[in-house]
Amino acid sequence: MASVIVNVRPGLKLFQSVLTCSSRRAFGSTSVLMNEDPLKLAQLKDAPLKSLDDLLSSSEKNDGLITVENKVDISILTGVPQEHITTRHVRIWKPVKHAMQSGTNNTHKWKMEFESRERWENPLMGWASSGDPLSNMQLSFGNKEEAIAFCEKNGWDYSVNEVVEKQPRPKSYGINFSWNKKTRTSTK
Amino acid sequence: MLRLPFLRSIPQVTRVASLGARTNSTGAPEKVEVFIDGQPVLVDPGTTVLQAAAMVGVEIPRFCYHERLSVAGNCRMCLVEVEKSAKPVAACAMPVMKGWRIKTNSDLTRKAREGVMEFLLVNHPLDCPICDQGGECDLQDQSMAFGSDRSRFTDIAFSGKRAVEDKNVGPLIKTIMTRCIHCTRCIRFASEVAGVDDLGTTGRGGDMQVGTYVEKMFLSELSGNVIDLCPVGALTSKPYAFMARPWETRKTDSIDVMDAVGSNIFVTHRTGEVLRVLPRTHEDINEEWLSDKSRFACDGLKRQRLVSPMVRDSTGKLVMVEWEDALVAVARALQSAKGDELAAIVGGFADAEALVALKDMLNQLGSESLCTEEVFPMDGAGTDLRSNYLLNSTIAGVEEADVVLLIGTNTRFEAPLFNARLRKSWINNDLRVATVGPDVDLTYETENLGDSMQVLQDLAEGRHAFSKVLNGAKRPIIVVGSGALQREDGATVLQLTQRIAQNARVAANVGHDWRVLNVLQRVASQVAALDLGYKAGIEAIRANPPKVLFLLGADEGVISREDLPKDCFVIYQGHHGDRGASMADAVLPGAAYTEKQATYVNMEGRAQQTYTAITPPGLAREDWKILRALGEVVGVKLPYDTLTQLRARLTEVSPNLTRYGDVESANYFAQAVELAKLVKAQPNSAPLDVRQKTLEDFYITDSISRASPTMAKCVQAVKKQRQSKY
Amino acid sequence: MASTAGTVIKSGVKQVRPLLSVDNAEARKRVLNLYKAWYRQVPYIVLEYDIPKNESQCRAKLREEFEKHRHAKDVRVIDMLVVKGQMELVETVKRWKQKGHVMNYFRTPINPKPNDFLSKFIAGSA
Repeated sequence: MASVIVNVRPGLKLFQSVLTCSSRRAFGSTSVLMNEDPLKLAQLKDAPLKSLDDLLSSSEKNDGLITVENKVDISILTGVPQEHITTRHVRIWKPVKHAMQSGTNNTHKWKMEFESRERWENPLMGWASSGDPLSNMQLSFGNKEEAIAFCEKNGWDYSVNEVVEKQPRPKSYGINFSWNKKTRTSTK
Repeated sequence: MLRLPFLRSIPQVTRVASLGARTNSTGAPEKVEVFIDGQPVLVDPGTTVLQAAAMVGVEIPRFCYHERLSVAGNCRMCLVEVEKSAKPVAACAMPVMKGWRIKTNSDLTRKAREGVMEFLLVNHPLDCPICDQGGECDLQDQSMAFGSDRSRFTDIAFSGKRAVEDKNVGPLIKTIMTRCIHCTRCIRFASEVAGVDDLGTTGRGGDMQVGTYVEKMFLSELSGNVIDLCPVGALTSKPYAFMARPWETRKTDSIDVMDAVGSNIFVTHRTGEVLRVLPRTHEDINEEWLSDKSRFACDGLKRQRLVSPMVRDSTGKLVMVEWEDALVAVARALQSAKGDELAAIVGGFADAEALVALKDMLNQLGSESLCTEEVFPMDGAGTDLRSNYLLNSTIAGVEEADVVLLIGTNTRFEAPLFNARLRKSWINNDLRVATVGPDVDLTYETENLGDSMQVLQDLAEGRHAFSKVLNGAKRPIIVVGSGALQREDGATVLQLTQRIAQNARVAANVGHDWRVLNVLQRVASQVAALDLGYKAGIEAIRANPPKVLFLLGADEGVISREDLPKDCFVIYQGHHGDRGASMADAVLPGAAYTEKQATYVNMEGRAQQTYTAITPPGLAREDWKILRALGEVVGVKLPYDTLTQLRARLTEVSPNLTRYGDVESANYFAQAVELAKLVKAQPNSAPLDVRQKTLEDFYITDSISRASPTMAKCVQAVKKQRQSKY
Repeated sequence: MASTAGTVIKSGVKQVRPLLSVDNAEARKRVLNLYKAWYRQVPYIVLEYDIPKNESQCRAKLREEFEKHRHAKDVRVIDMLVVKGQMELVETVKRWKQKGHVMNYFRTPINPKPNDFLSKFIAGSA
């Protein structure tokens, strides 16, 4: 187990004052054992001995895995400023087919987007300026659970727009010519 | 920050009327097996090749086929090869046969597609740079995906391409008919969904033209939908012409609040400006359609806006002030009133968050007089039973009905998408519709039973000729319009309707799931306000004139300065400078529906939320935030700082308000009828009337449409069309 | 379409691969060692970067930065924080940072952002 210690700058030494036993007693020691009554010390028990195998194998028990809680909050690690975690709302949805076109290629992924904040026209070029760093953040996921897990991990408040699977309606060319139903077409 | 503690995901069940499915002895149709590109799939008999392929995930290109219109089969783009067949078959029209092997990517199929595309492009003008449909054009996408890379059109050097004159069909639809590929989607839409049989084809072959033949405006409240339907740029939106390309705009999901249907929309915006409103598909509410007012009134959001708080100074003029000054002035006024000297009226665009904040604040100041502009009879069961004021059958439930009775409502203009659903049911399921009220054209055949109150009484007693039909119906629906309930005898109208509905329900002997009585609301805020406990109608305020009156978007002019005491302090909070703001002493600028994340409950009782597309202009703020800030200045600190906390409060008051997307159905119809018996029947002799009878009355009904120049142009164009002889 | 808001409070545990430490005790050792290393470096930071802060102010800031994440529970998160702190220390020691970067730790906004509802409302922020 390598612990992380940085060496101080080479060339300078640390000074450490060495106090003698007697001087420790004179100043007062924080060590419990030095101040205790020797009789009481004798009655203390030693810590139970652990075998070396026990200590070394604890991490290998689960194939090197450790147990952590399901709920993880990595919002402190992501570098997102706190105000953009607590005040932002996320919307998770599956895009629906655009009304003007008949293609559905864009409707298969689950998307995640933040609520929109102010955007205004930039006076120089007429582009859209915004003070919101997350205004263009739109992520796609394969399924709803992944999107939800991502939001929870990052600590955002989210809401999911569920998808309603629609039934294909029955279509028939013949009903355009039915003699008794109102589905008989009067136009082309 | 409060978080809701549990997931609510209740799957929706969409109901579809099935046509002509063959059944075996057990009642279920036997499925047929077909092979699409080698993949087997089991489908119901009668399914078309195109639908079978869609089930597998293969999308066959098409131009003329549309899911919600009848099958035409004239574009030929959906041709696919079927093994052992000499000719390719039109996938959109051909029902599958057992054992067919369909190849959607074979050489023959590809050659057919390239051929069709080549022919379409031969006579199609090179308009892409100036065409509004660029970027969202089916022709562009399908020519890239399925067309060939080179053209063999040499005739350009001789007689050239075909050109067609533009047609004038109104101030909403821009027609450049040269681009038309004659898919006939607009014709089928006008004939089937809109019910206005004005569009058609003239001529044959290369000279075929789609139009109205004589210059005639497309007089339908759903006319804007042909803009979405047209796969090319032949029919585009006139107000949106040349404004933006789709890739530079953002789409935000939202809900339309121009009527109480709660249609789902996309708000297209760019650089903080709303450019257009498109429909979002929702099977149970608006399918894929959107009414004209919802679609085109969005330019009213830019005019007559309140951008700064204002206070009336000593000379009587409204002067722009800062927020601190306005809040202090209003707070002083609020503190001076005690108990019911303080009253509030809410208008049609108020969202549930603002409603609950206002109610909390005023209740804490001791006032209980919070009223809505729309009247609803408070006698009998009044607004205590939810079933009394909702469209209980739901909009999609109409598809399962067999008899509908409409009382005092013109569904065509009050709720165009509900009317479209009624028409769909009339066409496909042979729905029988009768109306009590003025004889209006609902785009489908209706029996008008008259417009006097006597008709209602006869129906309630069972004396009328139509009662036999009602009682014989297996799934009847009775819809009474909220306009009919605004009268003085509105309680009687409701009571009679309830009796008719109860009789019909008992006679039909349907289960608990079928609801007969429905009320058609006309404004988007009414159901949420009634759910939260607002009093319907300003009778309470008229009886007890207040010293301080708070108007939350109340612009319909139901109360004027004359009805109020001389020293009454009127505060107006809203987004347009309309009647309410002009009579106010203090004006607080709020946000319109595209500028806030707000909850609206539609007439079925389905809570939905709008999302912020743009921010409110100038110094305007979101409505609930103004009320919260005002509360703090007054000294009534409301217990919510964020939207999440406010929604927790909404859930506390009425849990259905935050269950977005679900219809919370209501019950206790029999009890409502019993309570209604307590109403003293004093029917007026006046006939039942509706406010919107013809298309001119449809366009301008609220503060946003009053400010919209497009709506004004529409009214003018309709009036001009009436004078034409066609 | 139904809409579900908020978060699902997931209870339970899962087995994952560790980042650096295998248990809390090891992670604690790492954190304390990092703290000590920073603590010992503080006099040299003050000397070399010539910042207008004295040693006790730097140490108070160091303490504050560590206290910010006192409530981190997941071992991997603690490891990651230690790694990031270590990276910052390396940059500081090796003089890759400049005075401004070190003073960033002490940055307070000239106009402090409004905290209460009324000020935020009047300022117009979300």
